[in-house]
Amino acid sequence: MIELAPLVDAPPESTTDTKVVGHSVQRIDGWEKITGAARFADDLEFGPGLLHAAIVESPHAHARIVAIDTRAAEKLPGVVRVVSGKDFPYRFGLYMQDRHIFAQDRVRFVGEQVAAVIACDPKIAARAAALVEVEYELLPVVLDPVLATAPDSALLHPGLGAYPHVPWFFPRADSNIAHWRKIRKGSIDQGFREADVILEDTYRVPRYAHCAIEPHSMTGLFDASGRLTVWAASQSPFTQRHLFAQALAPLGLSHKDVRVIAPYVGGGFGGKAGVSCEILAAALATAVQGQPVKVMWSRAQEFYNTYQRQGVVAKVKLGVTRGGRITALEHQLYWDAGAYVEYGANVVNAVGLSATGPYRIDNVSIDSVCVYTNLPPGGPYRGFGYSEFFFGLESHITRAAHAVGMDPVAFRRLNVIREGDTLAYGARMNPNGLAEAIDRTAAAIGWGAREYSADPHKTIGKSLVLFWKAPAMPPNAASSAFLKFNEDASLNILISGMEIGQGLLTAMAQIASEILTVPVCKIRVETPDTDRNPYEWQTVASHVTWGCGNAVKNAATDARQQIFALVERACAIDGSSLYLEDETVKSRLRPGWALPLRDFVISGIQVPDNTFKGGPILGRGMFMPEFSSAVSDPETGQGGHPNVHYTTGAGGIVLEIDRQTGKTTVLKAALAVDVGKAINPDLVRGQITGGLLQGLATALYEDMRFDDQGRLLNPNFSDYKIPTALDIPGEVIPIIIETAQPDGPFGARGMGEHTMIPAAAMVANAIEDAVGVRLHSMPLTAEKIALA
Amino acid sequence: MPITCEFEYHKPKSLPQAIEILSGAGKNAAVLAGGTDLLVWMKEGLRAPTAVVDVKGIAELHRLEVSDGSLLVGACVTFTELLESPVVREQLPLLWECAHTVASIGVRNRATLAGNICSAVPCLDSAPALLAHEASVLVEGPLARRQIPVTRWFLGPKQTAIRPGEMVSGVRIPLPHRRTGACYVKLGRYRGEDLAQVGVGVLALEGCEYRIAFCAVAPAPARAARIERLLHGSDLSDSLIRQAQDLVPLEIQPISDIRASREYRTHMARIMLERGLRAAVARLSGGGPALGESVL
Amino acid sequence: MKRVPIRFKLNGVERELEVQPADTLLEMLRDGLGIKSPKTGCDHGDCGTCTVFLDGRTARSCLVLAAEVDGCEIVTLEGIARNPSPLMRELARHNSFQCGFCAPGVVLSATELLRSNPHPTRLEIQHAIAGNLCRCTGYTPILEGIEAAIEAAAAERSLP
Repeated sequence: MIELAPLVDAPPESTTDTKVVGHSVQRIDGWEKITGAARFADDLEFGPGLLHAAIVESPHAHARIVAIDTRAAEKLPGVVRVVSGKDFPYRFGLYMQDRHIFAQDRVRFVGEQVAAVIACDPKIAARAAALVEVEYELLPVVLDPVLATAPDSALLHPGLGAYPHVPWFFPRADSNIAHWRKIRKGSIDQGFREADVILEDTYRVPRYAHCAIEPHSMTGLFDASGRLTVWAASQSPFTQRHLFAQALAPLGLSHKDVRVIAPYVGGGFGGKAGVSCEILAAALATAVQGQPVKVMWSRAQEFYNTYQRQGVVAKVKLGVTRGGRITALEHQLYWDAGAYVEYGANVVNAVGLSATGPYRIDNVSIDSVCVYTNLPPGGPYRGFGYSEFFFGLESHITRAAHAVGMDPVAFRRLNVIREGDTLAYGARMNPNGLAEAIDRTAAAIGWGAREYSADPHKTIGKSLVLFWKAPAMPPNAASSAFLKFNEDASLNILISGMEIGQGLLTAMAQIASEILTVPVCKIRVETPDTDRNPYEWQTVASHVTWGCGNAVKNAATDARQQIFALVERACAIDGSSLYLEDETVKSRLRPGWALPLRDFVISGIQVPDNTFKGGPILGRGMFMPEFSSAVSDPETGQGGHPNVHYTTGAGGIVLEIDRQTGKTTVLKAALAVDVGKAINPDLVRGQITGGLLQGLATALYEDMRFDDQGRLLNPNFSDYKIPTALDIPGEVIPIIIETAQPDGPFGARGMGEHTMIPAAAMVANAIEDAVGVRLHSMPLTAEKIALA
Repeated sequence: MPITCEFEYHKPKSLPQAIEILSGAGKNAAVLAGGTDLLVWMKEGLRAPTAVVDVKGIAELHRLEVSDGSLLVGACVTFTELLESPVVREQLPLLWECAHTVASIGVRNRATLAGNICSAVPCLDSAPALLAHEASVLVEGPLARRQIPVTRWFLGPKQTAIRPGEMVSGVRIPLPHRRTGACYVKLGRYRGEDLAQVGVGVLALEGCEYRIAFCAVAPAPARAARIERLLHGSDLSDSLIRQAQDLVPLEIQPISDIRASREYRTHMARIMLERGLRAAVARLSGGGPALGESVL
Repeated sequence: MKRVPIRFKLNGVERELEVQPADTLLEMLRDGLGIKSPKTGCDHGDCGTCTVFLDGRTARSCLVLAAEVDGCEIVTLEGIARNPSPLMRELARHNSFQCGFCAPGVVLSATELLRSNPHPTRLEIQHAIAGNLCRCTGYTPILEGIEAAIEAAAAERSLP
């Protein structure tokens, strides 16, 4: 086997002379999508035998299930089977196993799945589902994350103390606290004593919905040989395979018997990560062995029965000297994490580690508390908790600057974290371009120059905020890649990173192209089939450009090494003199000599005695960080290296407010992000433009409303408004910063989530700058501004 | 989300045929023109008709023509057809502006004015224009043909003066004899399509006559009679506008819901009245914002 | 319930079918006829992914009963993509789409605009696609692709 060179300690590659990496090549999946040829999960055909499932859901936020009567449903012609919790008493969960496939003895949120009807067509399934009768005994409903921690609160998970979970979670048995991440660095009391000004306030962020335009769609088939296949719109085929196999092991399934196939995904944003409704396709398939069964989520179900972005109540207390230096930060975050926190608890954890923001602060106390509530499960959403906490923190930072009479940008320059500084949990900050981000963003929005509107009703405000985020992953999240040459030297690359729109397939093709000199138009990157494509943890955390990119780079490097070793052996040319150019092997020692790849990458090289040496070139690459560890002191959070690196940046905004109506128009939004190396600048700009708008929408008008019984009042686009083409900022200024990530492919690090993280604070601070109104709760609607 | 109710689909070729089917099925029949409301209701389980009567096969319902000084809008005329009509654009700009704010192009290509007034949701955009122009609703029934002034058409949220077995065959909008300037001001939560949280239609007629109608701030859309009386015969001055604004709370009864609070609706109705009045008057003299440009 | 016989033209081909009264046009196209470009994004007419041309105008196929299309002409993206337009080429060149789920609806809405208005302003383009929700791109790359297509089409027209 070829020894793969370790990447972690290698010096950053020179990135100034790359031919393909760093260029805005056309997306390799673009034409397919524009012609309508691209296939998504709901487009797949399974023949006339396809069955359809309709889900029976709880109308109550918290109740004991007394009885389920399925007889009327079963009698409807066309119904094949009706199942419920008793048929699937199997637990599952990514970081904590607190969830069952169907509710068992009780329901914990409005919309939780209680039973399912499998029928020959969707209309019959829906009609039959309405005939299933469930008797409930109501239990007290818990909706507020702070009240839920009170000793007299109803308990949502009496069995919490026995739930299996990852070693870096700290649940409190016999409470609604599923996890409590604490950071204690330095001495918080000392830090506040050193401060001249102490500013304390509470900020509230409600829940938000992903609203990927493609709803969840999944089909399962448990065939006669005992092989379970699930086709799903998924960000995480291997993680799903793992969780399905774990949950359904009592049926005799092992991992080799479970296969997940994921085609193009119509937007994920975290909502299609982990396992939420997809497990229904797996489970229901086992109930009708031999027949495929499809579960298609409606738009309403997308709103109330998938992961939601968690709400948070955050108390920020900041100590600052008169000179503007931050001496202490106390940050308490109570997370409305929902009925099941198997994934969402890691959001709480990730924030706990990073809730200082990108600032150098010696004395830090953070409490990030994951609280069960009778609301839909919180889970991964672009930003993974960072969008939520930066609203409060960056609002507070600007207020602190004002409190000591300092310009908010100068204040940030003074306190910004630098490479090598100690992080909240003891590890060191990676190389980063924050200083450059601040300068370029400030320039882009004309910071320092007040602007005036031509309209007498309107005033203009500006702000600039910082952001950072690290991938929140287990310490052993791995990526791998296979790379196969074809006879014409074209390439098929097999990865299990998902194309969810970010352009991953194109970026991976560019990396392979750079190393093997095969043009991007001759490279296919295949979407995952867990049988064929090698392992990828999940496409989340903005880590696949880095992790999967390293794996692809390793695979391409591996293939190149095989090529050079073969040429050396077969052609008697010194291997160290060889290089690739235009799909051809050349040698620095033999200027005229050239051997096209297509001559031998399948067939081998014919040598003078007419035998052939070599054979098909198959590259293999894997990347898993070996320096990351998640175990730390439960009381202080110190120790370990839970975050592989931070991606940093700054966001700036110029907005105009109509003082009468409160309506806000974003004139200009700039976002600088340090990507290390932009593999494809167009795709990076695409993430900035798209993420900014998504972030601005959460700040200005997206608004999930629950009633006092935990029911979502607006599970539709009529009343949960996501941006249209008329709602874009006047100008979006993407700023790409490249301070290389030493262990990234060509210096790259991920940035897909980061572009929405600063938006809410940008808006909040600019509103205060414009009209002097400080809003502490999101969304920052026209109504709140007008009536303030 | 499939439609699970079961029904017979009918496509009558004439109005009498349609009425016959409707009277036979009574409350269980639904008229299908654009379908952009009906299909949503059926999917949500809010309507479960046993007979759906597609009236698009009836030629006379597609008429959009001027007759006797009025614009006759047949029941199958879509919002897009209204927007493309020179008569509407030039002589009924208030209707044009109302139509322009309805949903999206894809919906407007199918949705009909008749369907909009039959759904009678309190926030419907076409109402201010129809009220300001004193339009009437043409109703066909098994026994009689009725012409109902729009002021007596809207009885409450989703309630109209229609009786079982009847259907709307069209809307008759008198064309103004004098020059007009108009403005429809719609409050949405952002610039994209939205249901009005407040809607104000202002029609300024040459000679200092003003017609003002609100939607989304009462159980049914209505003219603001007190404000009209206050302004009648006068040029608009700043102080007169302020007096008109002070009458707004008397003219509206907004509720608080997930879209907006009562307080914000009242606050905005005052602002929208002023901006609508100023824009309408400016347009009367040939100036003002471009047609379709929002004044919010 | 009695099935309804319908005759219609789909992407230039005459078709005859019997449909259930409660089938929508979207369901007929996707499940009955294997036409997958119109999508089920919300099924309520809010997102625009189900857009098709119905008698020459864009319509939300999730809000049309299959029975209604008797005597009508339907064109989907599959029909248009046979002769790729400058619009489609420029959208690809500009990397205008990310996940691509909204792309069929956007392409049809933009096609409708450019047929009636070859030189729209940016605001007119925004209005034309305002009924097509996109969560990925932030719309600006789509607008830039459409504007490039307008220039490319104008250049093509001016060729001898």
